[in-house]
Amino acid sequence: MKTLLETAGLRKIYAAGKIQIEALRGVDLRIREGELVAIMGPSGCGKSTLMHVLGAMTKPTAGKVVIDGQEVSGMGDNELTRIRRDKIGFVFQKFNLLPTLTARANIDIARYIHGNGVRSNGHDEHLSEILQLLMIENMMGRKPSELSGGEQQRVAIARAVANQPAILLADEPTGSLDSKNSEIVLNMFRELNHKFKQTVILVTHNPELAAFTDRLIEMRDGVIVGDNDSFSWDTVGEIRGQTDEFPFFEVQK
Amino acid sequence: MIIAGLKARPVRTTVSILAVALEVILILVVVGLTSGISDETGRRTEGVGADILLQPPNSSLFLALSNTTMPIVLRERLRELPGIKAIAPVQTLVNSSAGLEIIYGIEPDTFNAVSNGFIWHKGRLFNAPDEVVVDDIYAKAKGVTVRDTVELVNHKFKVSGVVEHGKGARLFISLKTAQEMTGQTGKASLFFIKLTDPDRVQTAIAEIKGLLEGYGVIPLREYARLMMSNSMPALDAFISSVVFIALCIGVLVIFLSMYTTITERTREIGILRSLGASRKFIVTLIFQESAAICLAGALIGIGSSFLIARSIMAVFPTLTILITPDWITRAVIFAVLSGIIGSLYPSLKAAKQDPVEALAYE
Repeated sequence: MKTLLETAGLRKIYAAGKIQIEALRGVDLRIREGELVAIMGPSGCGKSTLMHVLGAMTKPTAGKVVIDGQEVSGMGDNELTRIRRDKIGFVFQKFNLLPTLTARANIDIARYIHGNGVRSNGHDEHLSEILQLLMIENMMGRKPSELSGGEQQRVAIARAVANQPAILLADEPTGSLDSKNSEIVLNMFRELNHKFKQTVILVTHNPELAAFTDRLIEMRDGVIVGDNDSFSWDTVGEIRGQTDEFPFFEVQK
Repeated sequence: MIIAGLKARPVRTTVSILAVALEVILILVVVGLTSGISDETGRRTEGVGADILLQPPNSSLFLALSNTTMPIVLRERLRELPGIKAIAPVQTLVNSSAGLEIIYGIEPDTFNAVSNGFIWHKGRLFNAPDEVVVDDIYAKAKGVTVRDTVELVNHKFKVSGVVEHGKGARLFISLKTAQEMTGQTGKASLFFIKLTDPDRVQTAIAEIKGLLEGYGVIPLREYARLMMSNSMPALDAFISSVVFIALCIGVLVIFLSMYTTITERTREIGILRSLGASRKFIVTLIFQESAAICLAGALIGIGSSFLIARSIMAVFPTLTILITPDWITRAVIFAVLSGIIGSLYPSLKAAKQDPVEALAYE
């Protein structure tokens, strides 16, 4: 399978006044096309920072990031913007829909930015399928304030995948949802992954999400401490014995 | 998205639009009033029918603002020049109790010789020092007619006659009365000079200048053209000041509106950036919103200016407000300019926002 995302020695240091916070301390990671991955760890472990770097939202302080064959760590703002536009779809915990626009307009603005144009026939069919899959075809005329949390998140997912991104990054996608809606949303991620071979990376601190993914990457203190991927044997030795608090995740050797 | 963004904050959008409209109104009405009065004065002065206007040294082209005088005996020297048909000395006064009205103190004989006489609507010429002749527009505006009393420069005058407008001023009293009221006995503010051959204007002017060094001598037609011009040097400073103040209002309002908009919408900008919107896209978005406000403001401003102008002219028929296509275009350009300047910093600030920080903004 084609490698879609790859990092090597990834470091990210934030400056908070005179204090420097090292959010990522050497992350090596490889994600292949069509994978459904969960990146998990406690708050402050660096998983959201990792998501921002993987999504070309911010540049690493050091290390290499390759997104769909393009090394992005040295890219400027314009090139990073192009990568986000062409390769990445984001889903956020707080949905982040534009409040003044209808659900349809929220999706259309993403397509407009991508450059497909609202009236593009080629992608309308794809979008219709997505809307059908997410069961939101009848909600397109509503504004976010007229939708439930689960519905808003489904619209956000539709917006994220409308342009058929190479990678769908979801940051705590069920963090603002009740258990029923969480399950619906997670099932939809799995459907998107199965039906459209969409590469999905879920970032969460919720262990229950693991059950929905094929692969689980555990982070702690800015480094990967667990990965049940067969390609990541080199990290497993270091993390052995640190996974007890994640009983659902058994490191394979 | 632009319309949705503007509709989401209706009060701020409305206030911004009205402020831009105010900017446009300020430009169009004040400039229109200035050029209207100037234009109308020019036409009226040209209507006197003289060929040359002679003024004392250091006089203003605005006759109402000029308080310099020259001895009337000078005309005896002027009469010695060839081709002089008639000379009408005029002492000007300004009645500012209700607007700014210029009063001509005239000698009926010489003024008639230059202007071919008044066209009478009612009554007769003044016979007494406390009599005044008014033009039909003044009579209509003030609702006065023959035998009514009007107060001019703290003096009561009885209207002796009503004449057709277009002979320099709207109010005419005797030269002697005007001299006494201004304390300028034997003097005049200006001479209207009629030539036997109007084609000799430039020659005559050269001869007058040779005779009276330092005096203001100008062909009346040129004076009128200057007064009717959009770029009158004497008015430029005033109009520039008005335009500058109007522009400042527009820039500040747009700046405030757009700055608060981008602060409030930091998270939205972060969302757009996460979707792959470039910095240029964000700048364009802010500019487009600003342009929509300015365009709406300009349209309302233009419409309102015409309404205000019509209302002012209905209440004060002696005033003329000249809203020209030239100034409408300029007002729209100034409105758009204020939008560009006002939204420049906010849009650049918005574009420079870090997407991660913008998304974390609460």
